[in-house]
Amino acid sequence: MELTRWGQFALHAVATLLYLFLLAPIFIVVIAAFNSGEYLRFPPEGFSLRWFRSLLSSEPFIESFLFSLQLAVTVTILATVIGTAAALYIVRHAGRLRSPLQLLMISPLPVPAILTGIALLIFFYATDISRSSFTHLVIGHTLVCLPYVFLTVSTVLVGFDRSLEEAARSLGAGPLTTFFRITLPILKSGMVSGAVFAFIISFDQFPISLLLSGVGSTPLPVQLFDYLRFSFDPTAAAVSTVTIVMTVIVVLVTERLVGLESLYNRGKS
Amino acid sequence: MSATADRVSMRERFQAGSSPPALLIIPALILVGGFFVIPYLYLLYMSFMTHTTGAAYIREFTLENYTETLRDPFNWRIIWQTLRFGIVTTLVTLILSYPLAYHMARAQSRVKGLLMILLLAPLLVGIVIRSYGWMILLADTGLVNQLAEAFGVGPFALMYNRTGVMIGLVHIYMPFMALSLLGSIQGIDPDIERAARSLGANGWQTFWRVTWPLSLPGVASGTVLVFVLTVSSYVIPSLLGGHRVITVPLLVVQTVQQIFNWPLGSALAIVFFVITIAIVGVYLKMMDRVMKGER
Repeated sequence: MELTRWGQFALHAVATLLYLFLLAPIFIVVIAAFNSGEYLRFPPEGFSLRWFRSLLSSEPFIESFLFSLQLAVTVTILATVIGTAAALYIVRHAGRLRSPLQLLMISPLPVPAILTGIALLIFFYATDISRSSFTHLVIGHTLVCLPYVFLTVSTVLVGFDRSLEEAARSLGAGPLTTFFRITLPILKSGMVSGAVFAFIISFDQFPISLLLSGVGSTPLPVQLFDYLRFSFDPTAAAVSTVTIVMTVIVVLVTERLVGLESLYNRGKS
Repeated sequence: MSATADRVSMRERFQAGSSPPALLIIPALILVGGFFVIPYLYLLYMSFMTHTTGAAYIREFTLENYTETLRDPFNWRIIWQTLRFGIVTTLVTLILSYPLAYHMARAQSRVKGLLMILLLAPLLVGIVIRSYGWMILLADTGLVNQLAEAFGVGPFALMYNRTGVMIGLVHIYMPFMALSLLGSIQGIDPDIERAARSLGANGWQTFWRVTWPLSLPGVASGTVLVFVLTVSSYVIPSLLGGHRVITVPLLVVQTVQQIFNWPLGSALAIVFFVITIAIVGVYLKMMDRVMKGER
């Protein structure tokens, strides 16, 4: 629409309100974490770090935070290696099987994660493949993170100039040298974006974690969820704020490594 | 595989300079095949097994779980309530996201990057944390009610009921709708809108006759995405609905995890999955017809 000046103004105003709506709950959690009172009042009662101190002495939150971190790192490594390998094979060698295999790799994405969680829960119990909740969670999370790595790496691979590898080979580089000196550096941006997606998704994953977590292996979102069902004291806000800050750091570091643009450009396709 | 195909893959293997290529796909196949495809098939199998009080299930074929699921009027009430959440959330996010996406699509490229970060930022914060933010805002003594009190109105019951669930659902799924719409709206050349205006159409007519029809592909993908995500959402209905709002995912998890009736839970999950897919299928067919008619 060719908007009139008034129309432009109205559009800006509506968009501003909508961004506020999207960001409000996040800001509110951060403000509640630094607020000295038990409840968030307006205006806030004063700045305090007491909820962070209370977090440090909360064993369940600390334990589940460290557990989630350990889980997310394991899942990121596995999803990145498995997803990159799968993308290499499917884009380059799959031939006629390319489309069906692509579909298979992406299939965990469109189905509801809660249903995948239930299917895995029943499957793990009934088959008794492993009794470790950590193993169950690693498998479940890697499954839902795999499509992201697969997609980001595939996108880079499709635009990959094969003549670079051929040039390296004809100049006498061995297959391994070519892979590590040519292929891997070019794939880096796709792998890093995929790994960042995997880390954030695993750290925030809820439905699968809810069904597969066990005693002593409760990821942070599940711990937070259980906590919020009975109280919402600001210790929960403090742990949420720590998570948010961690996510911001991860995204900023990625920005430094490969550029934020590649993060959402690759993610979209 | 034919001999030529074999030779091609040999050559490719040589050029890629890596270990035998087939090895690359095996871990992914084990993961997706063994821990995704098979568990889903197993879920289907489980829905035909018999439930007993002593064990989660026994290996005896029965259709009982399906007849029980379909006959129970309580299930149908929950299914309808869940679908209604899906439909209303989809409509509200569509109405709210359209101006947002339009605004971004027509913004200058420097501003656009910043707006994109604002839109994607909520997606990077966990869904439980964002629900918690809404709990602080919407509680009986929460910020919104404090504000209402200052104006001499309220308090409003905004949480532990359908209103709270709706607000949370719209908030969580709006970015998905906006991103889907953005792609379509960005593809519309502003010159087409300008041409309509210069030919005498007013703003309203230009929107309904030019912009809206051209953005329908984005509308179709966005609405399907949000609908499917909403009806399978678990965190929002359980945190913002208290225990007073029940949806199908809550009921299924309860049946499997607390009542320990795996066959019945599986059957309910499958029935609802089929209903959702059927609705999406019919809807996409209708949208397809509308889009063809517009051209």
